Amino acid sequence: MATPHTDPATWSTSRLLDRIPAYVRAFECYVPSRPDPVLMRQYGLSHLYRLNNNENALGPPPLAREALAALESGRTAQYPSGDSYNLRQALAARFGKSPEQFLVGNGSTEIIAAVIKSFCGPGDALVTADQTFAVYEWVGRFSGLETRLVPLRNHALDPGALLEAVNERTKIVFLCNPNNPTGSWWNRDTLEAFLESLPADVVVVLDEAYREFTEDSRFPDGMEVMERHPNVLVFRTFSKMYGLAGLRVGYLCGGQELVDVVRRCHIVYSVNVAGQMAAEAALADDAGHIAATRAMVAGARDFLRDAFDSLGLEHVGGIGNFIMVRTAIPDTLLYRQLMRQGVMVRTMTAFRFPNWIRISLAQDEAMEAFVRAFRAVLDQG
Amino acid sequence: MRVNAEQAVFLELPPEAAFLSLAVSAAETAGKAWDLGPGRTPRLALAVEEFFEYLRGNIPPGDTLKLSLRRRGPALRAEFRFRARSLDLRALNFAAGVAPEDGREMGLLLAARFTDRCRLERPGGDSFVLSAEVDRDYPQAEPLTQHPRLQPPYAPLDQPSGDALRHAAMLAAGRYPARLCPHGFFEPGRLLDMVAAGLYEVLVLADKAGRPAGIMLWRSPAGSLSVFFSGPYVLDEARDPAIARALTEGFLARVARTPAICAVSERPTGDLPAEFFEPLGSVGCTQGGERVEQQAFYRSLREDEGASVWAHPDLEPFLRREYERLAFVREILPVEADGGQPHSLLATDLDLRRGMAVLRPLLDGRDLAANLARHVEALGREGAPDIFLHLDLGQAWQAAMSPALLAAGFTPRLLLPHGATSDMVVFEHGDAAH
Repeated sequence: MATPHTDPATWSTSRLLDRIPAYVRAFECYVPSRPDPVLMRQYGLSHLYRLNNNENALGPPPLAREALAALESGRTAQYPSGDSYNLRQALAARFGKSPEQFLVGNGSTEIIAAVIKSFCGPGDALVTADQTFAVYEWVGRFSGLETRLVPLRNHALDPGALLEAVNERTKIVFLCNPNNPTGSWWNRDTLEAFLESLPADVVVVLDEAYREFTEDSRFPDGMEVMERHPNVLVFRTFSKMYGLAGLRVGYLCGGQELVDVVRRCHIVYSVNVAGQMAAEAALADDAGHIAATRAMVAGARDFLRDAFDSLGLEHVGGIGNFIMVRTAIPDTLLYRQLMRQGVMVRTMTAFRFPNWIRISLAQDEAMEAFVRAFRAVLDQG
Repeated sequence: MRVNAEQAVFLELPPEAAFLSLAVSAAETAGKAWDLGPGRTPRLALAVEEFFEYLRGNIPPGDTLKLSLRRRGPALRAEFRFRARSLDLRALNFAAGVAPEDGREMGLLLAARFTDRCRLERPGGDSFVLSAEVDRDYPQAEPLTQHPRLQPPYAPLDQPSGDALRHAAMLAAGRYPARLCPHGFFEPGRLLDMVAAGLYEVLVLADKAGRPAGIMLWRSPAGSLSVFFSGPYVLDEARDPAIARALTEGFLARVARTPAICAVSERPTGDLPAEFFEPLGSVGCTQGGERVEQQAFYRSLREDEGASVWAHPDLEPFLRREYERLAFVREILPVEADGGQPHSLLATDLDLRRGMAVLRPLLDGRDLAANLARHVEALGREGAPDIFLHLDLGQAWQAAMSPALLAAGFTPRLLLPHGATSDMVVFEHGDAAH
């Protein structure tokens, strides 16, 4: 059918818009989900299971909770440490490195932007996968860079194809290991072979946002890898395993020379007082929390795998607190139908997995509620 | 005057007769410079002349007329932007009652008839945009009716060559009914120009030997939240469903991270894999003298946030039923018929090749019922048996029109989420609509 053609621009605005870079004009604004009370009112819900953002359903570790509870309101009148001084000390102690090798940001998304700004200029290119964490691609595109997207192979990053995509203009390769949303991962040998084959003047961002969810000894430790490969920057976050997503604390670690370059383009004072305090406390008390989270995630994964198998549905999951399943209806329709039953999942169309949804792995009650709603929707046909 | 790199010319003109020749000359020069052709350029010049003459006497004192001339793929577009606080624009109705003694109104009607597309838009407030487009002529290509047996695997061509695109278009034109094919399938040069200008995006799959295996195309009109797709067109002898599936998945992957909120079928073929889309319903269309129902398919590309829409009580039962069926959360805000000013204004998109016209309200008015009746009569006379009206539920004044539409023989057929500034209802005229 034909469509209405509406041009919102006035004459002068039109001329102004003509001057905006095409890569900005073409960019899609990300629209975050609305707050729970708003969604619950819209859908007439008394309870909402939010299973869309891979948050840790257990919340933060005990010491982090205590730190937050003890935060005096008067402390908020003062600026935080501009470079997260104490937290970097704690990170250095944890990983046996210098505090100067760490850079803390308002979530890892802020650090992604800082890395791209630091190393890339007009005409440069990035390489990443086409079905991975979207922010690498977004920042690359709205920065006007060529962002070369490499298809996955069997739901996993394809090292050969990624290497083929690298050319003389490539400044950064983004590797999400384990990959969000597939949970697939490269083992030590695969990562090592990849890094050996890559030109040494290409920066590799090794995003390990979900690495704490595994204890598999074959999983590479970025903190160790970066010692042998000075072009590697490791990203980690307190938003997933550490249950501090609401405070937005992420960090990178790398060789000091490289980190100093990123620091030039990094916004100081961007991490708030509560986030710095809670993250530092979380590091001091994480063993029990990590074990409990891993157990919860493993149980939830088994439960959902069984449910999907019983329905004959294809599913994909590996490391991380999430699993994907493919259905025979549009994921965006499934989202709306699940929302009407009080369950919120992540649609995967924007990840280029049409008809897949991703579900955060949480406690039994939430998983059971999801399966009940999911079966009910599929039964409706 | 300003010229930019996107092949556009801008003029800001005082509304004085002395500047008419400058405006017309600019249109003629643009037509010549941008290869519109000697047979088509005068049509654009005529539109500019008639628009200028009409507008110069009607814009507020002290205002200027802003004319832009742009090359848009196969077309040249002349566009006037102006303010019109008290301007009586009823003559811009396709079916305006023309008084022979009123030369100005006759001129606008002529302009509408002699151009390929003529459109009035109202970006907001008292701002209007009056535009006309004239297409270049292209040679016709004979559709290819022999479809080879192809060999998997099928892979997308990164940047299909002109020859690959031309070949795929001719194969598709030879397999699918004309109503399911864009005009460019019969005039591949037009298709190539549209793709080069970004008016269409295209995905071509090739088989193991590099032969075209399938094609899908889509367009994202400026200001629209929807992407409108045609296809998938499967080109191998055996009509391998894997090709349709790969085309659909490839299309969705390409639009997934664009500003589009949803994908809507414009020409859905029978090869469309149903599991990727939601059936919206159907509208009637005339094919070979007979009416057939054409299904419409929809897909959100993002998680829906919910919204509010305006609706007259007459339309509310239809909306509630459709929102429930499609599982969209909407707050329906009541609105009553108003009527407002004396004269209504409807924009008309007329596609005579498809025998179809789409009306869009631009101004409400107390003569709406009569205006609708005039349009139905005139469009039928012009050879457009399929008449639709798109009602934007994001505009209270439009939503208030539904009683008049129902009384004029229009029936709500489709609810299109995010089809306009908010959701859109597609009304169809005629006895066949039910």
